[in-house]
Amino acid sequence: MRQTITLGALLLPALLVMGFVAVLPLLAVFNYSFHDIFSLDQAYWIGLEWYEEIVTSDRFLSSLARSLLFSGVILSIQIPLGIALALVLVRLHPVLRVLGLMLVALPLVVPWNMIPMIWLALVNPDTGLAGRAMAGMGWAFDYKFTALHTWALIVVMDTWHWIGLVVILACASLSAIPAPLYRAAAIDGASRLAVFRHIELPRLAGGLAIVLLLRFVDSFMIYTEAFAINAGGPNAATTFLSLDLGEDIKAYSYGSAAARAMLSFLVVVTVVWAFVKITTRGREA
Amino acid sequence: MSGFHPARLLVLLVLALFILLPLVQTVVLSFLNTLPRDGLAEGTPSLINYRNIFASDDLRASLGNSAVYVLLNVALCLGVGLPAAYAFSRYRFTGDRHLLLALLVFRMTPPVVLSLPIFILFAHVGLVNSPIGIALVHCLFNLPIAIWILESFISAVPRELDESAFIDGHSLPSFFLRHLIPAIAPGIGVAAFFCFIFSWVEVVFARILTVTGGKPITMAINALFTFQTDIGLVMAMTVISLVPGVAMIWFVRNHIARGFTIRA
Repeated sequence: MRQTITLGALLLPALLVMGFVAVLPLLAVFNYSFHDIFSLDQAYWIGLEWYEEIVTSDRFLSSLARSLLFSGVILSIQIPLGIALALVLVRLHPVLRVLGLMLVALPLVVPWNMIPMIWLALVNPDTGLAGRAMAGMGWAFDYKFTALHTWALIVVMDTWHWIGLVVILACASLSAIPAPLYRAAAIDGASRLAVFRHIELPRLAGGLAIVLLLRFVDSFMIYTEAFAINAGGPNAATTFLSLDLGEDIKAYSYGSAAARAMLSFLVVVTVVWAFVKITTRGREA
Repeated sequence: MSGFHPARLLVLLVLALFILLPLVQTVVLSFLNTLPRDGLAEGTPSLINYRNIFASDDLRASLGNSAVYVLLNVALCLGVGLPAAYAFSRYRFTGDRHLLLALLVFRMTPPVVLSLPIFILFAHVGLVNSPIGIALVHCLFNLPIAIWILESFISAVPRELDESAFIDGHSLPSFFLRHLIPAIAPGIGVAAFFCFIFSWVEVVFARILTVTGGKPITMAINALFTFQTDIGLVMAMTVISLVPGVAMIWFVRNHIARGFTIRA
């Protein structure tokens, strides 16, 4: 009994804060999504109409597809690259390793609205270092009107921004591997590949689960950075789910925005849930 | 394992180039005059951008505003997160893993989803334009991170520490202050680091919760974009916005990669 009281006292402050900033607003969004809202005191119950309208619209489906594709590209680049860099870093001299970790952490401390500004300045063909280099090589980089170039710019920028998180968390898992394991593998004459497959990968899996989820969610709902690059263009080629949602909010279409928000949240929760199911089943087996 | 393998050094070098190139560009632009001014041609090296920042009340105030809510947020996340992390680490209760997971789901809830109701809710209780409001709302993503990091550091401390302290007659709060906090000091540093940077760089909530006053540094930079943007000033402001984060990286450099171990 006493223990229960202590436990409650320890958890209560955190639960209260999360209730206020997360649960209450989420319930409010859920409620708005069933209403047609002209102003906050003029809301009319319309049931599932927003959901029907959104789910059957091309606009929603194509931005959902774009967001999924974007997350797919981001994960398939950043996760292997991050692991590879971590594998190199943990084998460096400790001083260089710390230096490398500090380096990859740098982009994490740049305010999000400045990241696109920095990159736009970098690829500017008149004044940017990369822009002038590309112009010098006769390579016409046109992120404004060529969809592929806009995508490339956003993907490279996002990799620059977030690779540090993957590297830091992968390094955390790798440095937890006891040295005797490596020595045993060396005595057995295990190849580099075998060491990775049987010693490093299993250790990485646990720590990387969370990175995979964080990178999925953050790339799936990318807003600030993507919007500032080309406002979803050219021709809506980079209009991701959250940019669509932003449009609705800017147009004061709160009911529809809430329904879109709930749908995005649903996708996120489903993916997280499925992911946890798959990984825990693997662990129990 | 030699620490100075040439191929590995090359990888580090390429990585450094990729990470630093955009930042070098930013620093270079911040020291250039980028607008036509009397007696100063465009493109000449100058300290004018930094002088302009300190001459502007809005820009100086924004630095203070950001610092206040970020520090409040770090204090709040650590103060509330530490007891919760201790509970998750030391107690077994029904649904404990699920609760920890639920917290992480909230970390993964996109800010855009919640921005509207949070504005309405905070307007009701008078937390708009106040640093307390932003500090509180940033707990949405920082508190789960803080709990998660602290939990893994506390779990690395043997239970004997708790038991012997309680036998010595320490109460829970005095055990926290005298024994637990010193034992997991690096963990507190790492948690503070991540709370600090995620609060410092956040834009969506910081924008909607500062309608008329208390503008943070990110919004002050946004406001610099006008018909004729002084890109040098923007970049100088960006450089200044990096200073606290870089200082934080320096403080936690030896512990940055610890504290993310996952218990199966």
